[in-house]
Amino acid sequence: MAEAVQEQQAPALPNEIDPREFDGPAFQRDPFPLYQRLRDHHPLFHDRFHNRWVLSRYWDIDGAFQDNESYDRAVYKPDGPYQFGSTHVFGPNILEYGNSPQHRWLRNIVAGQFVGNRLQVFLPMVAQICDEVIATFREAGEVELVSQFSSQVPIRVISNMLGLPREDEDTFVGWYQALIAGLGFGGEHLARGIQARNEMWDYLDPLIAARSKTPGEDLLSRIVSAELDGARMSPDEVKGFVALLLAAGGDTTDKAIANMWYHMMYTRPDQYADVQADPDLWDAVFTEMMRYDPVVHAQFRHTTREVELHGRVIPERAGIILYLGAGNRDERVFKDPDTFDVHRSDLHIGRENRSGRYKDGKPGHLGFGIGQHFCMGYAMARQEAMIACTKLMAAMGAVQPKFDSHPGINSPSIDSGGFRSPQELVLTFNPT
Amino acid sequence: MKVHIDLDKCYRSGECYYNHPELFEMSDAGDPVLKAADLTDAAMRLHAEQAAEVCPAGAILVED
Repeated sequence: MAEAVQEQQAPALPNEIDPREFDGPAFQRDPFPLYQRLRDHHPLFHDRFHNRWVLSRYWDIDGAFQDNESYDRAVYKPDGPYQFGSTHVFGPNILEYGNSPQHRWLRNIVAGQFVGNRLQVFLPMVAQICDEVIATFREAGEVELVSQFSSQVPIRVISNMLGLPREDEDTFVGWYQALIAGLGFGGEHLARGIQARNEMWDYLDPLIAARSKTPGEDLLSRIVSAELDGARMSPDEVKGFVALLLAAGGDTTDKAIANMWYHMMYTRPDQYADVQADPDLWDAVFTEMMRYDPVVHAQFRHTTREVELHGRVIPERAGIILYLGAGNRDERVFKDPDTFDVHRSDLHIGRENRSGRYKDGKPGHLGFGIGQHFCMGYAMARQEAMIACTKLMAAMGAVQPKFDSHPGINSPSIDSGGFRSPQELVLTFNPT
Repeated sequence: MKVHIDLDKCYRSGECYYNHPELFEMSDAGDPVLKAADLTDAAMRLHAEQAAEVCPAGAILVED
């Protein structure tokens, strides 16, 4: 009866989404077509395969970010019965405490460092580090931007802010790259990430002890001596915090710089001419990059109560994924959303806000998130990227990509926390 | 104690109402609004002072 078991192919429903698409290489390479189907046909998509609910429209994502009563970021409760950090590359860290007083306290210890006057004090150091890194390749007239420039600058800046010895910077760069690889992948990358973390922790132990006794002006001193109700952070918490700062403060900015150059060289070389004529336009390049294809595409929440949305009810304690990368391309908000345009008039250009509300009345990009967990380093990332790009542009003179075609911005796995950026970007130039 | 918010200086950074929801809330437009609160309370006073300190626009003024 072999004929009778003839395969019954279900007729394809035109707009149905197979949740396995989220795991495929096509989505990692180019997530935007799937984002569009989500926005248009499944603004609230219940992904039963991954056991989560997917939001993709701009104002729905804004709404979830603004509503702390319904959506929580915490992975763990701050007072739970566990030992933090055994399997996370960062160890115990601020992001896992969610919407708690503990989170607010940890955040406020360092937040001041990354905005306002205290940040301004550090900017000459950022410029100096850029000069030092550029000097290592400038004579050659060729640079592989990712390994020789963008992945070198931010990590040196943050370790300098922390007050870690400058002669050990190369070692931090190695640890940091292993930590980052461990964040986006499992398996051997995770194992190597945790090994790097442990080496870094051993290195930090005596530094933490010394700063606890005699604090200096650096950020590490501020972290070790900050008190909440008379109590300081435990040494493990300090180390988790430092690992988070190295990774969050370094890697995202690193990839932002690479993305900006990728778009200027390959997506809109015509607009690079505008930026050369007016270097202040790097501000708009940064903003438009954070909208068009930001480093981070996904943020995670869970519901703390039932939430009604698009005529359905998300249950309490449901996993939520907010696709910032999809909201940023919402044609309900931005005209021609799939066009990269530094002269865009329907996007708030320049300094971002935690509130996501701007006096010019324009919507901002979602690339830093909004609300309670809005990126703490937003001002620093923007300033650092501006300085790095302006310096590099001035040092290179006439520049062009070495290869006519490029595989493009890619991500090993964007919804496991991997960040989007080009793997490699080779430029040739004539130093003036 | 009195708390003043200068809405001309304010650029809606949101630092006050996200960090000190006990004392501030966000209007639909994104402006900070002072909540009805007992400003003689020591904890509220601390919220006001800390909010004035973190405000990147320098738009919050606390007076005795």
